[in-house]
Amino acid sequence: MLEVKNLIVFYENALALNDLSLSVQPGEVVGVFGSNSAGKTTLLNTIAGLTWHLKHRELRKGGQRITIAGEIKFAGEEISAVKPAERVKKGIVLCRERHPVFRDNSVEENLRLGGYMRKGSEIKVMMEFVYELFPPLARLKRKKAGMLSGGEQEMVAIGMALVARPKLLLMDEPLLGLSPAMQKEVVRAVREIRKQGVTILLAEQYARPVIPVIDRGYVIENGTLVVSGTGAELLDNPEVRAAYFGIEESR
Amino acid sequence: MEGNLVNVLIYGLVNSAVLMLTSLGFSLTFGLSGVANFAHGGLYLFTGYITWMFLHYLGLPFLPAALFSIVIVGLIGTVIYRLILMPVRGIVLSEVIATFAVGVAILEFFRWRGFVTYEFNLPSFVKGSITIAGVNVDYQRLFIIAIGIGLAVFLWIFSHYTKTGLALRGMAQDEYTALSLGIESDWAAGLSMALGSALAAVAALAILPLGLISINIGYDVLLVALAVTVLGGLESTVGLMVASLLLGYAVIITGTYLSPHWMEVVYLAAIVLGLAIKPSGLFGKFKELEERV
Repeated sequence: MLEVKNLIVFYENALALNDLSLSVQPGEVVGVFGSNSAGKTTLLNTIAGLTWHLKHRELRKGGQRITIAGEIKFAGEEISAVKPAERVKKGIVLCRERHPVFRDNSVEENLRLGGYMRKGSEIKVMMEFVYELFPPLARLKRKKAGMLSGGEQEMVAIGMALVARPKLLLMDEPLLGLSPAMQKEVVRAVREIRKQGVTILLAEQYARPVIPVIDRGYVIENGTLVVSGTGAELLDNPEVRAAYFGIEESR
Repeated sequence: MEGNLVNVLIYGLVNSAVLMLTSLGFSLTFGLSGVANFAHGGLYLFTGYITWMFLHYLGLPFLPAALFSIVIVGLIGTVIYRLILMPVRGIVLSEVIATFAVGVAILEFFRWRGFVTYEFNLPSFVKGSITIAGVNVDYQRLFIIAIGIGLAVFLWIFSHYTKTGLALRGMAQDEYTALSLGIESDWAAGLSMALGSALAAVAALAILPLGLISINIGYDVLLVALAVTVLGGLESTVGLMVASLLLGYAVIITGTYLSPHWMEVVYLAAIVLGLAIKPSGLFGKFKELEERV
């Protein structure tokens, strides 16, 4: 479904992604793990087209030089030069990190806005699904999103991405800053979303909470692929364990 | 003295509505896309002149002439965005200089072509006046109040209940999240320029009939729009209304009890004091630092 080949991204002279290749098959949940500034966000933003947008904006005003090279294929189609809006239309939807919501808008308005590229009838169906998936949101419908807790905002952010009807959902650190109980909620949601036939590429710093839901994972460091494998394989790798799973070797 | 008081009350309200209408477009464009459209005054006056031309050269009736003007000025707003603002988007100083240059170019073009005589004026919607508590108020001034309120309601509904309005507000709050949902930032900014410019046109059509059209009005309009938006906060509708009322009454009170010479100073003082005491405006919010992708 998604095929990333030899992806390279430079911000000026800083290398953010270094010759990165990965693939996601339809129906899979794939994890991307790495520390801060490993390139996870750049990877997802580049797949979603935000880096492309930034590159052109900067180019126009003669600002920062951003270089993107390599291939991004979605459903067999090369999309690395496609506008973000077109990518959303094709079914690539990014849920950005730190639960970005439109703070001045109500929860319901946020969700409706998620379906900006979709028809009214589709939006309705998806909103019903989101309220089922996250029952607290149904209660908070009319509240301003900025007044919600971090966990609730994360639900709204995921909900918005869902109303956009993704075929491939990119989730950037959905667990960041959430309580363990909330983290469980999000992991449960990932499972439910997958049941709807949505393919998921998920970036996290710590892999442990999401290991049960992923099929495969990639570990990246300084924009370079270090290890890849199934959840169990990653767990078996001692270095990966220590660095990204928060599990110390038992002595 | 008592007559004066009623006078101040009524004309203060009228003046407040004038100020609100005048600055609505400027404030809307800024609130939605962060573009400070310093061509606002130029577009305002441009509306006056082209409507006058439609009426006198083409012989159109007032209503179609007015509608044409609004549409044309709206389109010009988009064109300004596409041709002039897009290349400098994100560099605030360049945006201000570029739009200011366009505004000055428009205004001085008309001065150069000799649009400075006394023949230029727009007709009132309805002639005549009414006496309220002993004070004579013409219908046009009442229309201005009605249009001001009507537009505020319309914009509120537009921005809260239509898909486009929601998308524009979303873009204003968080550009990259809006982008990741498929909303395009150039489309949004172009549209907000079109809307703001069209609002400048509506304001011109309502307010210009109160007097003659003269080039300097263009510069005054920009000053007023700046004063109201700076005082009210740059992206707040309530702030815009409160600031219009404050300034509207302050100006009339100054004019009545001090001297009309001091009226212009009130606007400048509002800008200076506003920036010195509360730079984000009475009701404004500081935007959070934009995160880099």
